[in-house]
Amino acid sequence: MFLTGGGALFGQPAKVGAEMAVKEINEKGGVLGRPIELLIRDCKGTPDEATRVARELIAKENVQFLVGGLTAAQGLALSEVAKTEKILYIAPISKTTAMTEPGKLHPYVFRSAANTNTEGRSAAVFMAKHPWKRIYTIGPDYEYGQMVTKAFVEWLKKLKPDVEIVAQGWPKLGEPDFTPFITAALGKKPDAAFFSLWGGDFVNFTKQAGPYGFFEKVKVVAAGEGGSPETAISLKDDLPLGITTNAYDLFYYPDTPEHKSYVERLKAFTKQEYPPSWAITGYIAVNFLAEAIKKANSTDTMKVIKALEGLTIDTPIGKQTMRAKDHQANRGQFWGTTTKVPEYPFPILRPVEYIPADNLMD
Amino acid sequence: MPRENWFLVIIILCLALLPMSESRFYIFLGTDILIMGLFAVSLNLLLGYTGLVSFGQAAYFGIGAYTCALLMKKASVAFPIAFAAAAVFGAVAALIIGFFCIRLTKIYFAMLTLAFSQIVWAIVFKWNSLTGGDNGLIGIPFPQHLDSPTRFYYFTLFVVVLSLFLLRKLVNSPLGRMLTTIRENPERTEFIGINVKKFQLIAFMISGFFSAIPGALFGIFNHSIFPDLLFWSHSAEVLIMTILGGMYSFFGPMVGAAVILYLRMLVTSYTQYWPLIMGTILTLLLFFFPGGILGFLRSQLTFLKRNR
Amino acid sequence: MQLPDPSFLLIQCLSGLTYAMFLFLIASGLSLIFGILRVLNFAHGSFYMLGAYLTYQFVSYFINSPAYFWWAVLFASVSVALIGGIIEMLLLSRLYVREELNQLLFTYALVLILGDFAKIIWGTGQLSISRPAILKGAVQIFGQYFPEYNIFIILLGPGIALLFWLIMTHTRWGRIIRAAALDREMLGTLGVNVSWLFTVVFTIGAWMAGLGGALVAPIAAIVPGMDVEIIISAFIVVVIGGLGSFWGTLLGAVILGQVISFGILVLPRLSMVFIYILMAVVLILRPWGLLGKPLKR
Repeated sequence: MFLTGGGALFGQPAKVGAEMAVKEINEKGGVLGRPIELLIRDCKGTPDEATRVARELIAKENVQFLVGGLTAAQGLALSEVAKTEKILYIAPISKTTAMTEPGKLHPYVFRSAANTNTEGRSAAVFMAKHPWKRIYTIGPDYEYGQMVTKAFVEWLKKLKPDVEIVAQGWPKLGEPDFTPFITAALGKKPDAAFFSLWGGDFVNFTKQAGPYGFFEKVKVVAAGEGGSPETAISLKDDLPLGITTNAYDLFYYPDTPEHKSYVERLKAFTKQEYPPSWAITGYIAVNFLAEAIKKANSTDTMKVIKALEGLTIDTPIGKQTMRAKDHQANRGQFWGTTTKVPEYPFPILRPVEYIPADNLMD
Repeated sequence: MPRENWFLVIIILCLALLPMSESRFYIFLGTDILIMGLFAVSLNLLLGYTGLVSFGQAAYFGIGAYTCALLMKKASVAFPIAFAAAAVFGAVAALIIGFFCIRLTKIYFAMLTLAFSQIVWAIVFKWNSLTGGDNGLIGIPFPQHLDSPTRFYYFTLFVVVLSLFLLRKLVNSPLGRMLTTIRENPERTEFIGINVKKFQLIAFMISGFFSAIPGALFGIFNHSIFPDLLFWSHSAEVLIMTILGGMYSFFGPMVGAAVILYLRMLVTSYTQYWPLIMGTILTLLLFFFPGGILGFLRSQLTFLKRNR
Repeated sequence: MQLPDPSFLLIQCLSGLTYAMFLFLIASGLSLIFGILRVLNFAHGSFYMLGAYLTYQFVSYFINSPAYFWWAVLFASVSVALIGGIIEMLLLSRLYVREELNQLLFTYALVLILGDFAKIIWGTGQLSISRPAILKGAVQIFGQYFPEYNIFIILLGPGIALLFWLIMTHTRWGRIIRAAALDREMLGTLGVNVSWLFTVVFTIGAWMAGLGGALVAPIAAIVPGMDVEIIISAFIVVVIGGLGSFWGTLLGAVILGQVISFGILVLPRLSMVFIYILMAVVLILRPWGLLGKPLKR
């Protein structure tokens, strides 16, 4: 096999989606008649490691495109590598607006993920529908948690000027023990809480908060993909019901032929009965890249950048457009309420609503 | 000129010719190895020559990196001044921390160096407004005239060779011999009226100075720096390089850095389980080659000579 | 600023105590091993992590038994103890004749190996198990809820501490162990099998780490990286309390738990820095820790 249409590096969760996208594209003959080669490196969750492996891939393997990075810090770090090495980079997961804001934005960085504005503000929209006045927020004390909480608070105050933020919890990312945060929050007697805890942090908080009666006393709107089937499967009955939360993708929603077909393919690809929701992030990012190369009819970085600006593609979750002005996709958010249903042995989101990004992301 | 020096001249010439390969990758790897190699040799001034196990050397590397980067990025200080300041800051930090650490011995000393380095890490991690916190400092400006990888490689080679030359002079000087005496038997050295603590502190400071230099180089090389550089696992990594190469020879740590970085590059192309492999290498090393690579080669060499 | 409600302060204090008791359980194993073997065991956090993962594994085996959680805790912690004992007997014990650096680096190699080992077996996602049915609820303390499981942990910590204190002061083994902490060469000449003693101590230490991991499993996500996370906190505890000092470890754990618990009320974003500052102050004033003894060597 001869060299390459593209290269990528990944944090674990989105990897499968990218692999499946590459497999599907190559089965259809690749792009410009050549297969895409996917080079995967583990960047261990740290910006330091992400920078190192990205530079190594560029110097050693001559990769032409980078896709990946998990945390906001990794997104920012990879964006910098892209800028200095003049390599196109698509961020499938990192959401911080700092990556695409004026001053930080440069021609080489694109984002197929939603940004923190979309996520925080859509949470505020849900929160504002209810008569809750005293609000508590808790989020990991790093770029993502800070930005999404800021977006949430500002938007909520705009929608409902009389809300009061009674306290804010800032645990570190990967905090093992949330009990002091839980009791401190309850001490302030909030009506509702906004979470931006994700992955293990969300699991930790929920498990530790349950017996305090937290979810009976406080209504919760949880950003950070608390509604992912992965989380529900690992928590099972420990996942509180009736909380409003989001997800990248849900294998049971939306009920369109494109999405159903995607879920079936993903099931076959991962050999999992309930396929992972994070896969969509990598899947969409790789498809953006492939479509842009096709449109540019070249793998030349500048031409692909031009093609990517304003590009609209069909994805399993509907049409997505990469805006030309700030290289941000108009990716919305799936929100729903955790509910127990007879079909599945774990809670799911029902009803689910797709909140489009167009009015929220700026 | 002794045979060993001829050998060194040949190696330096080879390194100087490396960019002729026109391979971006070898220049990249070469720069990385030179930087980490100097860091490991600086650590070994404490470890191998003075017998002090520092488990927090990443702090001085990180202080060097952040000092140089911050001065250039935030205060627009010229590179030569920022670079010199980085080394001085490294030495000053080592002097302060060393003052407390040298009061303890052995494992307590190791614990204390670890604890202090974690304190420095926590400060860098949390001081968002200055250091960028966990997002790190990105977009460190390239110094004038050093903006191509080849030029930066030559600059690194020059700095590293000069530093190694100075360090080698030092370990062969009366001061260096004093440090070795202390390593062999601190109590006896104390009895003959020598202020052991004073010499240990001097060694600690010099080691901090020469650990900050590769730190400053790394910041420019990597273009971005992150608090992880100061984390204890980074200290452990450089310790492993030192032990792998051989802590009882001057160039051992350099060899160790080269082997680890090269292996890591090879292994990570195939598997994400590099820590598993590194752990296994370390275990084998501890049990079968306690003298490290150079120690092993040297003992083989003496064995051959004796049997000739 | 108005004075907070006393019942709230009590609950906040109890919250801090829960974490403190986990830390105590883990750090006392670390401190015990250090006190006797003079080995700073970096792999202690890895034993803790293995305890949690193995509990997850055993829960799925025993799920049909009514007391499945307790069986899983027992089997997981004993498995970790055995793994620890075997590692000590076959590998670590050969390094005692060498400089301390070798032992330190060997335990670090274990961190790297065991961490990847867990990733290979259990993947990188977060795993979770539920609280045992008997401790699922909460009790009311002055009108505030407090989880039963946390009360169990708060009581278990001092329980284990008391047990160990009794063993150390009232049994022959305890006296031997204390003697070993003072002078192991002397003990050898008195006819005690020191290498066997070391294996036993290391096994007990590993068991405590494994038990900590097993007991944390129902209230935390089981994830890669929990090993490194806990070892740092455990180090801080023993540094503050005094390496090798049993009561110092308890004190250190309680201090750390309370500093975090109340620190987040005062300066939410800087509670981590508090801890490090506290550690620095202790190190500067009493490098051997609050209740430790300065050692000449």
